[in-house]
Amino acid sequence: MSSYTPSSSAGGVGSADSAAPRRNSKRPKYSKFTQQELPACKPILTPRWVISAFMLVSIVFIPIGVVSLLASRDVVEIIDRYETECVPQNFRNNRVSFIQSDANKTCTRRLTVTKHMKQPIYVYYQLDNFYQNHRRYVKSRSDSQLRDNSSWNDVSSCKPEDDSNGLPIVPCGLIAWSLFNDTYNFSLNNQQLAVNKREISWKSDRDHKFGNDVLPRNFQNGTLKGGKSLDPTVPLSQQEDLIVWMRTAALPTFRKLYGKIERDLQPNEVIHVTLENNYNTYSFNGKKKLVLSTTSWLGGKNDFLGIAYLTIGGLCFFLALSFTVVYLVKPRRLGDPSYLSWNRNPGGH
Amino acid sequence: MASDFAMGQFQFLKRLLLVHGHWNYQRVGYLVLYNFYRNAVFVLMLFCVFYSVIYTSVPTIVVGVLDKDLSHKTLLKYPKLYGAGHRHEAYNLQLFWITMIDTLWQSLVLFYIPLFTYKESSIDIWSMGSLWTITVVILVNIHLAMDIRRWVFITHAAVWGSIMITYACMVVLDSIPIFPNYWTIYHLAKSPTYWLTISLIIIMALLPRFLLKVIHQIFWPSDIQIAREAEILRKVTPNLRS
Repeated sequence: MSSYTPSSSAGGVGSADSAAPRRNSKRPKYSKFTQQELPACKPILTPRWVISAFMLVSIVFIPIGVVSLLASRDVVEIIDRYETECVPQNFRNNRVSFIQSDANKTCTRRLTVTKHMKQPIYVYYQLDNFYQNHRRYVKSRSDSQLRDNSSWNDVSSCKPEDDSNGLPIVPCGLIAWSLFNDTYNFSLNNQQLAVNKREISWKSDRDHKFGNDVLPRNFQNGTLKGGKSLDPTVPLSQQEDLIVWMRTAALPTFRKLYGKIERDLQPNEVIHVTLENNYNTYSFNGKKKLVLSTTSWLGGKNDFLGIAYLTIGGLCFFLALSFTVVYLVKPRRLGDPSYLSWNRNPGGH
Repeated sequence: MASDFAMGQFQFLKRLLLVHGHWNYQRVGYLVLYNFYRNAVFVLMLFCVFYSVIYTSVPTIVVGVLDKDLSHKTLLKYPKLYGAGHRHEAYNLQLFWITMIDTLWQSLVLFYIPLFTYKESSIDIWSMGSLWTITVVILVNIHLAMDIRRWVFITHAAVWGSIMITYACMVVLDSIPIFPNYWTIYHLAKSPTYWLTISLIIIMALLPRFLLKVIHQIFWPSDIQIAREAEILRKVTPNLRS
């Protein structure tokens, strides 16, 4: 018959070919990998593993949930929505024309501190319904131009805000053009409350993305001003408001850091805010809010993580108990052959 | 499935059918479902070549090649175990839809948890995207890990290695200033919220699947499940005759 010994699955069962004369064997070299006999760990879901898994999750998650919730509750936040109130009564029906006119935009607001706030207190402006994450908006910038003075001409990705009056705009693009320009001045007990506007942006941005030799040029020079103008003598790496703004937000409701107040605030203190309501959010029904917030190790005020962890931890604890009951009430001996389908239905399928 | 085989002697038919046929069916059935899942989960995010090729395909291949549910001794001794193939137990319409519903749940968890965690915060678009990407990779790999029935050294290397390589790629890519996501991973890694969000997503996304698996194995164990338990826990080739 055939004189070949084809690759019989040699897994432990070697065919004795000592009697055969030396022939050209096509059997491949034996190795544990090719015969799939590598040492292996074969996990099984025993009752012990199932209950332990659920208990472990609940033991880890519940304390994390408690700690997170406490951290979030510790954060003190003052939020003041002002875009409607800061439009004078007679302009309330035509807010867009108000914001685009030369009328006086100064507005005073009063904020009351409810709980003791430890410094540093972060001052944010929050915008609602502003889609900085729109694809075409996000693309409308020129990173090479921002970084390097020699690329000042590289404005192709910035349309329509690439040039005006024949000259390229530095910094170009819609993101820079729509720079937020409301300003806030804080006073407490008739004394000016200082706001530190240094180091509010990412250090990596200041050092590597915005050049210290790039100066604004031809900026907000067109017919329609979209936002703040920039001081042409200050290089971009020091224009922190621009850097913060150009870190495009992920969601349509977002906050951006305006500055830091570096003193404590006591409960019942009243802060007077003199703000310039310059930015036009009225064309798209956006909201503007001023936020003063302390921070914790978890960040700002957000109960979600704490509650979610507690819920999952609690659920897993409940499941651990339920499975303990199930395993006690209705145990199934693992590997018991009587559960096999052909033993349960002797008639066969 | 490939179905043309040639062999030299009739005696090899038994092993071919009962051992390799069984393993083949189990692996392909599982892998088809897993690949539907893996690709569908990513539908919410931007398409990325790295994802399919580098981050998640290696574990898929390793599992497809090496995973075994039962030893060849058990399979040869008890041919009735081959009936799992006849009964379409590894891939059928019901399993497909369950997989799709599970995929939908996981995608929703994956998308909405970062949204709720970071709403009204100052997170930027690149950090959010980075969080979604890494979480998807970790999630699909741990999903696979939950189903692997035989862990050899290579399996460990493929699954955990993929996750580590993804992180390494992100660190490398986020160190190049010309990219828009420059410094993102360094900034995120310092924030406890980032790590807590990832753990929450993994546990919450995989909880229903794990629960279903456990319940199914308690109340409706399949023949393969029982044979496996006997083989592994009794440490003998089980006596599966009644």
